[in-house]
Amino acid sequence: MIEITGLTKRFGAKTAVDDLTFSVEPGRVTGFLGPNGAGKSTTMRMILGLDRPDAGTVTVNGHDYVGLARPMHEVGALLDARAVHKSRTARDHLLCLAQTNAIPARRVDEVLELVGLASVARKRAGSFSLGMGQRLGIAVALLGDPKVLLFDEPVNGLDPEGIKWIRELMRGLAAENRTVLVSSHLMSEVAQTADHLVVIGKGRLIADIGIGEFVRQGSNVLVRADDAERLVPRLVEAGGTVQSGTDGSFIVTGLEARRIGEEALAAGVVLTELTPQRSLEQAYMDLTRDSVEFQASVA
Amino acid sequence: MAAVETMRSEWTKFRSIPSNVPVLLATVAVMIGAGFLTANGASKNAQAAGAMFDAAYISMYGGFLFAQISVGGLGVLAVTSEYATGMIRTSLTVVPRRGRLLAAKVWTFGLITLVMGEVAAFGSFLLGQIAIGANGAPAVSLADPGVLRAVFGMGLIWVLVGLIGVGIGVLLRDTMAATTVVVAVNFIIPIIGPRLMPQAMGDWVTVYWPIQAGLRITSTVPDPERLAPWTGLGLMAACTAVLLLAAFAVFRSRDA
Repeated sequence: MIEITGLTKRFGAKTAVDDLTFSVEPGRVTGFLGPNGAGKSTTMRMILGLDRPDAGTVTVNGHDYVGLARPMHEVGALLDARAVHKSRTARDHLLCLAQTNAIPARRVDEVLELVGLASVARKRAGSFSLGMGQRLGIAVALLGDPKVLLFDEPVNGLDPEGIKWIRELMRGLAAENRTVLVSSHLMSEVAQTADHLVVIGKGRLIADIGIGEFVRQGSNVLVRADDAERLVPRLVEAGGTVQSGTDGSFIVTGLEARRIGEEALAAGVVLTELTPQRSLEQAYMDLTRDSVEFQASVA
Repeated sequence: MAAVETMRSEWTKFRSIPSNVPVLLATVAVMIGAGFLTANGASKNAQAAGAMFDAAYISMYGGFLFAQISVGGLGVLAVTSEYATGMIRTSLTVVPRRGRLLAAKVWTFGLITLVMGEVAAFGSFLLGQIAIGANGAPAVSLADPGVLRAVFGMGLIWVLVGLIGVGIGVLLRDTMAATTVVVAVNFIIPIIGPRLMPQAMGDWVTVYWPIQAGLRITSTVPDPERLAPWTGLGLMAACTAVLLLAAFAVFRSRDA
């Protein structure tokens, strides 16, 4: 469990994190979303005591991170997978980190096996591909078998197989009742993994919401049907909000396209059009539009 | 003990960078080799120097001038390589108590330089005395007055030079900048500087500049115009301690 209260960080005149309050619960994957420059990494760095907050507090399982004598047993973090001395071997990299927390060398080999790097354990980290480097960073996070895990943009540079692997890993960790916080600037990356979303923009909290609710709020579907009078009540009953459009079409909010199709089938109504108008990505972009730091102008 | 665990980690960090151990061994070899050459050269003029001829000092000093550059450089790199690669953030994530991390670095690198510095000091002293003796000049032995102190003291100078590198590395974080400053502080200002400075300033540097003061521990011939051996070493050690205190203060307060 991570508890963040009133967290604020300024770099000169710029406020990177602005009075942020949320908590990350165990037993689920929490997606930490926001456009580039929203303050995600700064927040994670403050959780780990790398940056000092100007105001507010962060605790991990009730403790101040900086006060932990052997933090790897409590919290594992992947912040920047390239933050590795390139001429050190993967195994030595893990070993020197493990030794600081009295983690035995046996665990280093175990973790190398777990992330699929056992065969390159004695290769220099500088020779690793982006994906292998990412796996090495994840190995660091797992070394102390911690209850809380932070992953900053973990799928960057991973191939589809690697992405699938890390998603399953995060789901598995949450299923073991661990606290998992994973940041991303892309909705699509966390949509399939996260149970809960914390969305920030310009350092401020925009949404702290379950993924189901986000999906419901986020989807508008344009529907045309031969017998709308019979379909609409069913959709309302299923939890949707229906607005009549022009020319006989109507917009359904709060139900996925598939669910609408199922209702139409059950009612025996022929659908002539079923068009999702906002993807999850679109909903996320709408949510964060006002807080994007760097935006291309439309010429 | 968490402090010992962190020191063990720092030793793993040091030995697992492939260039570190060879550079360290090469430095010892250069000190002994160059020490032999200067001892050989100087002992041919021993007669002219008379009572001022310092057989212990001359067998170590020539080699040390070369060796100290890489000892200081290794100290710098022990810190700046972590900043250059971003490793420092990983290191501070696993050891969030910053004082403990830096203390482990200082102790580990201090012990490494102590061991290797003593090897280099005794090696160059013993080989140097052979050269001096072979040239018919008065060689000394470790049993002679002040000689053991001078040779052992040379190893301590290695430690201080290495720790000055660590301290400046922490303050500047950048390898090039820190190395340049270390070379300026330990070589250019004290060794070349006095020849370019006004007389009074040059004399002051020669007596009181930390490394010049410290190196008095390696001499066996008293010089009334300069500091006594332990006074000089004490001055250098005090300056190094102040530098390290500044490094700790900055390291603690700075965002990583």
